[in-house]
Amino acid sequence: MPSKTAIAGESVSSDFQTMKQAIVAIFPLSLAVVPWGVLCGSLAINVGLTPLQAQLMSLLIFAGAAQLAALTIMGAVGSLSSMFSSTFVISSRHLLYSAVFRDHVRKSSFGLRCSIAFFLTDEMFAVTCAYIVKNKRFSPVYALSSGITFYVIWNISTFAGIVAGQHIPNLEHLGLEFAIAATFIAIVIPLIKNKSTMVSVVTSGLSAIILSVFMKEYALIAATFIGMICGYLTKDKESINE
Amino acid sequence: MNDFWLALLGMTCITFSCRYFFFSTTVPFKLGPKVSRLLSYTAPSVMTAMWVPIVFLGHQESGSDFITSPFLIAGIATVIFSLLIKNTLAVVIFGMSVFALLKVFF
Repeated sequence: MPSKTAIAGESVSSDFQTMKQAIVAIFPLSLAVVPWGVLCGSLAINVGLTPLQAQLMSLLIFAGAAQLAALTIMGAVGSLSSMFSSTFVISSRHLLYSAVFRDHVRKSSFGLRCSIAFFLTDEMFAVTCAYIVKNKRFSPVYALSSGITFYVIWNISTFAGIVAGQHIPNLEHLGLEFAIAATFIAIVIPLIKNKSTMVSVVTSGLSAIILSVFMKEYALIAATFIGMICGYLTKDKESINE
Repeated sequence: MNDFWLALLGMTCITFSCRYFFFSTTVPFKLGPKVSRLLSYTAPSVMTAMWVPIVFLGHQESGSDFITSPFLIAGIATVIFSLLIKNTLAVVIFGMSVFALLKVFF
């Protein structure tokens, strides 16, 4: 236990504790993304990018699904506009994440808001939400530490993919998607603590399957909204008692 | 690949803008209790809309049958395991191992 007189030391050590918690929480999620980083790196080399260009994609864009879609379009010599529109559709879910964190970061400095935004990924969002639920407050230290950890692992695995380059045979057919599915299952199932969350999970899952038959591109965002609205409309016992 | 630099710049701006949009103090948007409640379902809805198609439609891309698809079997096993064990790392490793084993044996 830190002594009560050393207030400055106490807050530094509690920041350090938060940082450690964040790294421990995001680690399993970063693990699942390693094969994707490797795939992004090796695919970029196969499409004809230089190693520097390939690494810059992960350093600057930092969005696995959008990067993979863009590389596929580059490989098929698709247009810039199709690349941009697919990037937007894939990234549109991040608009929701920024809305969720809005009240927590609104009073922060421009620099801090930019940094949190840059490192805002599915995984960082998930662990930071869990932190908020548990501690009843938002922590920029937690958000940034988990985000940066994820960023570093994403870029190291991209680098590994660049080095391996064309020597990785048929990586696309190994079923790497399942790593993402396993991670998200591990995140979602513990979140189901009441009826309304259960309803939002079931409806978004069902609509994701049905919609992806008709409109592959927009299925994700449409199913998300359906799930959110159905969850919202479901009355929980706790909220009636309130 | 002259367009590459343009593509890189454009995509960087698009992904960053989506992540920053509601952090902007100039966007007039007030989070009332209703919107907050709606947004509280973001994480479960988005993540489910991502994992469910992989588990239930994964067999289409790999060309296996629905019932014997490693995506389906390992997916359901992961869901059951995550109900029993609260440790995320254990669940992820368990799910990926089951999937890898099924891939090797089928």
